[in-house]
Amino acid sequence: MSDTVKLIIDKKEITAEKGDTILLAAKKNGIEIPNLCYLKEMSPYGACGMCVVEAEGSPKLLRACSQKVSEGMVINTMGERALKARKIALELIMGDHKGDCIGPCSLNCPAHTDCQKYVKEIADGDYKSAVKTIKEVISLPASIGRVCPHPCETACRRQHVEEPVSIAYLKAFAADEVLKNGEHILPEVKAPSEKSVGIIGGGPAGLSAAFRLIQQGHAVTVYDKMPKMGGMLRYGIPEYRLPKKVLDTEIAEIESLGVKMINNCTIGKDITFEEIKEKHDAVLVANGAWKSSSIRCEGESLEGVFGGIDFLRAAALGEKPAIGRKTAIVGGGNTAMDACRTAVRLGAEEVSIIYRRTRDEMPAEDIEIEEAMEEGVIFRFLTNPAEILGCDGRVTGVKLQVMTLGEPDERGRRSPVPVEGEFITLELDSIIIAAGQKNDPAGFEMLETTKRGTILADERTFATSIPGVFAAGDTTNDGASIAIKAIAEANEAAKFIDAYLDGIEIPHKKPVISEREVTDDMFTEYEKHPRIKMPQRAPEDRRNDFTEINLGFTEENAREEATRCLSCGCHDYGHCKLIKYADEYCTDCKKLKGEYHKSFKEEKLEVILRDQGKCILCGLCVRACEDIAKQGILGLVGRGFDTVIKPEFRNIDIKSICADCKKCADVCPTGALKIL
Amino acid sequence: MRIVIGEGSCGIAAGAGKVHTALTEALRGTDASIGIAGCIGMCFLEPVVDIYDGKTLLKRLVKVSADDAGAIAKAVKNNDLSAVSYLEISEEDSVFLKKQTRIALRRCGLIDPESIDSYLEDGGYNALKKVLSGMSPEDVIEEIKTSGLAGRGGAGFPTWFKWNAARKSEGEEKYLICNADEGDPGAFMDRAVIESDPHALIEGMLIAAYAIGASKAFVYVRAEYPLAIIRLQKAINEATERGLLGDSILGTDFTCRLKIKAGAGAFVCGEETALIESLEGKRGMPRLKPPFPAEKGYENKPSNINNVETFANVSWIIENGGEAFSAMGTENSKGTKVFALTGKIKRGGLVEIPMGLTLREVIYDIGGGIRDNKEFKAVQLGGPSGGCIPKELLDTVIDYKALSATGAIMGSGGMVVMDEGTCMVNMARFFLDFTTKESCGKCVHCRIGTKRMFESLTRITEGNGKEGDIELLTELCEGIRSGALCGLGQTAPNPVLTTIKYFRNEYEAHIKEKKCPAGECAALRQFVIDPEKCKGCTLCSKKCPVGAISGSVKEAHIIDTSKCIKCGQCKEVCRFGAVEIR
Repeated sequence: MSDTVKLIIDKKEITAEKGDTILLAAKKNGIEIPNLCYLKEMSPYGACGMCVVEAEGSPKLLRACSQKVSEGMVINTMGERALKARKIALELIMGDHKGDCIGPCSLNCPAHTDCQKYVKEIADGDYKSAVKTIKEVISLPASIGRVCPHPCETACRRQHVEEPVSIAYLKAFAADEVLKNGEHILPEVKAPSEKSVGIIGGGPAGLSAAFRLIQQGHAVTVYDKMPKMGGMLRYGIPEYRLPKKVLDTEIAEIESLGVKMINNCTIGKDITFEEIKEKHDAVLVANGAWKSSSIRCEGESLEGVFGGIDFLRAAALGEKPAIGRKTAIVGGGNTAMDACRTAVRLGAEEVSIIYRRTRDEMPAEDIEIEEAMEEGVIFRFLTNPAEILGCDGRVTGVKLQVMTLGEPDERGRRSPVPVEGEFITLELDSIIIAAGQKNDPAGFEMLETTKRGTILADERTFATSIPGVFAAGDTTNDGASIAIKAIAEANEAAKFIDAYLDGIEIPHKKPVISEREVTDDMFTEYEKHPRIKMPQRAPEDRRNDFTEINLGFTEENAREEATRCLSCGCHDYGHCKLIKYADEYCTDCKKLKGEYHKSFKEEKLEVILRDQGKCILCGLCVRACEDIAKQGILGLVGRGFDTVIKPEFRNIDIKSICADCKKCADVCPTGALKIL
Repeated sequence: MRIVIGEGSCGIAAGAGKVHTALTEALRGTDASIGIAGCIGMCFLEPVVDIYDGKTLLKRLVKVSADDAGAIAKAVKNNDLSAVSYLEISEEDSVFLKKQTRIALRRCGLIDPESIDSYLEDGGYNALKKVLSGMSPEDVIEEIKTSGLAGRGGAGFPTWFKWNAARKSEGEEKYLICNADEGDPGAFMDRAVIESDPHALIEGMLIAAYAIGASKAFVYVRAEYPLAIIRLQKAINEATERGLLGDSILGTDFTCRLKIKAGAGAFVCGEETALIESLEGKRGMPRLKPPFPAEKGYENKPSNINNVETFANVSWIIENGGEAFSAMGTENSKGTKVFALTGKIKRGGLVEIPMGLTLREVIYDIGGGIRDNKEFKAVQLGGPSGGCIPKELLDTVIDYKALSATGAIMGSGGMVVMDEGTCMVNMARFFLDFTTKESCGKCVHCRIGTKRMFESLTRITEGNGKEGDIELLTELCEGIRSGALCGLGQTAPNPVLTTIKYFRNEYEAHIKEKKCPAGECAALRQFVIDPEKCKGCTLCSKKCPVGAISGSVKEAHIIDTSKCIKCGQCKEVCRFGAVEIR
């Protein structure tokens, strides 16, 4: 009798050894059949149902992990029925999977910075690695770490214990530490591609794109209308928050990679858009939003009325705008905060904020509001300019309509309603309108725009209406936003510009990931360890000058703060078989959601960390412990949906009998087991 | 005269023990003897007392209570049984037994299950004697093949084929296992056989052991059957004493030992590979097939597993010949099948009928139709693994193929009859609740899938169903059916699929109109008082546990629906039929 059999798998004729399973025979011939509970060292188990295949003549699907090959078999591993069964298996598992593939910090960051990774590197004292990690996404870590409104922290799970981890300042700390020693973490630059890219605008978007594209070997030129690079980081953010020396150093790093930077170059005046287009193989428009919005109020044209960002730019240029003794700033955002605190520093004696809602509704960051208050800014909530008063063409005051809060709008923000007949008059020497900003389309008329006048850019590729011209940042679509959003867009745009230059297309696919839904009561096990406060100069001292108000973390502070990270993102993401398949089969993780199985974290085994929320009960650890390690410590406990894997005899001191072989964690297909 | 009291678990539950005590007392000093029998299968008439003269049945008394003992004793003493005619089974109810053809149950309720002599007197062990005195194992297998006997546990796999596979499987040591882990809600065929005729099981198993070449056998009985275990153990002891079990049976070199293993209450252990794991002392979880038990079963040795009813047919087949058995039934389903007829039926109990009868004949002719003059709605066959069959298909014949074609299965014999008051969505939910709890947790499809089906059905019955739920349920059902590891998971969707198939309108009413057409789903019921009919007797408001009913004496009452917990007590207590469900 022959020891081999002939069969067909996926239309491929195969000679397999008798006694081989379909899965093994396929594998030997380069055909991978998916599986989650199989390992060839162990006897087949059949729990996951992923290895099902279709066999001609068989009404049932066969489990390839156990079914042996036989002569003449015709197997289809990718038949519709098999794919459907696998998809439903994955949907069932994912609907009962309690784990975060990626930390919420990173997910909520528009640029998806790997916060968990660099925070860990900082905790380990490895600042160079941390900066390297950050620079995968952010080319200006010391600057952005100081100014970012940190959506990462907004999403940080640590707030369920007490407060979020101080992720942004940690970023600034790591970058400062490295720069302090005169070290520069620079990426490798590929060999010249003979292609060139022109970037209009040297702000966060333009500089980020330049940083990405230069690495790909393209010749990059940045054109900027201002005397120096940095855009809003330089001309919109006051010195006391971001010292320009820090920004200069980081821009110099980018320049050192070979990026050509041309300042004082206004489009339509010094050079035309057409010329730039002619000169380069691709163009990125990232000229920002530099025009202050009007509040459509009588008296806006009086002398002494300033636009918020115009005022900040003037201050940054050292122009000392004439705001007089008494000034007021209209608006509740971060620009308003920057403006009022700049006004304080310019010597104004009375600085007010005029805001039509209350503090709760203010879009500015809390810390900014607090610091402004500490510096003596007066907040006039529930007021709105009705008319800017003037005499001889100069501002003398403002008539304020008193407001009250009405019904919440669709976003839940209560809209302000005027209280009829109630007005206050405020005497003023100047008034600063910080009620938003707009882009300036001058010079870009050939590009298609949105209804609001911004440049229309594809939300995925950032391509504009002209082939080879891309646009990102404040100048596009929804208009002005935060720096990290502009960076995120520029990074993506750079990817598509690179692909455009190479003549390839990037297929559209959003990776499937698992996200946990959490509530405070899931975090009761953690010991409270409050967030470390950023040391600051005293308000009475700092309000007098533009020197940076934050003193920076000490190394001890930073490392301690970094250890507060809960490491929400899964250690196994990247190796996890489950998510690989979920992604491959385009699983809808939420389709079959319901009650979750019981789960717990248990460190009883001392050598491994067990997270039942991610356990898929494949039984590999149980079998590894029994068959390979010959220990037999683990077992299935409970029945049905609430089955868990636990030491079978729970009162035994597991540590004394566990051989520390870590086989269980090695074989785990998900991140349920982690070697400590 | 000989007085025989039916003392199966059901008889005892109905008071047979008390009747026994009272009769013993009342008949003291007479020459009448008192004995016991197992279950005759007429659950609706328990306790049953038979009065014999020798072997002749003089009278069958039904629904006997201890209070009747005096009258019975008097009648016996006076030799005038007409005095207890008021207790005698009616002509109408006698139909229940007359229309049956009993093979597996042929001695149930007639012989004393606790006496081997009683079995021997009735020709017991003759088949074993016949086998051991001249038939080869191959002859036995051939005879079973001729009979067409198929596994009565539910799958209906040809018995001879399994025996033959085990016989041919290589290995010195082989095992025979009886699956008596009867777990379907509403099924009690196997229990009745073991409690009423344990030797029939032993004899059938011995013949099978001889056929496959096994010298060790197990009966895996669920621990919830204590009486069955006691009687079976007694039978094993007696058979061993008489040389019918153990070493050198009937003086031949055939040796077979039989042990009872009490299961710990997991439904999945009715699945053969899970049963084997449990028998080995492990957690009851199914194994992957292949290898099949015939190749690698108990302790990885060739093993054969059959159900109680299957074994109970064997001695009859040997004695009467396979052809006599295959003469009954249909082309692809031979012999008889025992059903446990329950639910909203007039005459419920154990029914053994030849294959080929229609469901209508069983439900109406034997079972007497629906109780309380209500409308028949559906019948559930095969318990949680089976499906429901609607009114339009009542003329389906009982046959493996014909039943499968409806979406239901023959199953092990559970036959639950439902009337118009049963909500089919809730019925499916009931079975999914069961399978969810009984899933062993090993495979993804069953562990999580049944839970998700149950959650979805719960949402629907609670009025939280949404558009697309039926489609999602169907998709889930199909996925679980093709992906689950063992029979439990693979068949768990059946109640859902068949109810969707035949009663989709009920699902739609729950989802779209938030109504339960059968009025069973509490969350969708609204109790209202018809002011025309209400006399203001105040009874309902007194009874209401949450004070939701208000109204003055002699005035129409009102139910505050926001307070009402829909317990239905007001409706029960109302003498004027004024409380309505909307």
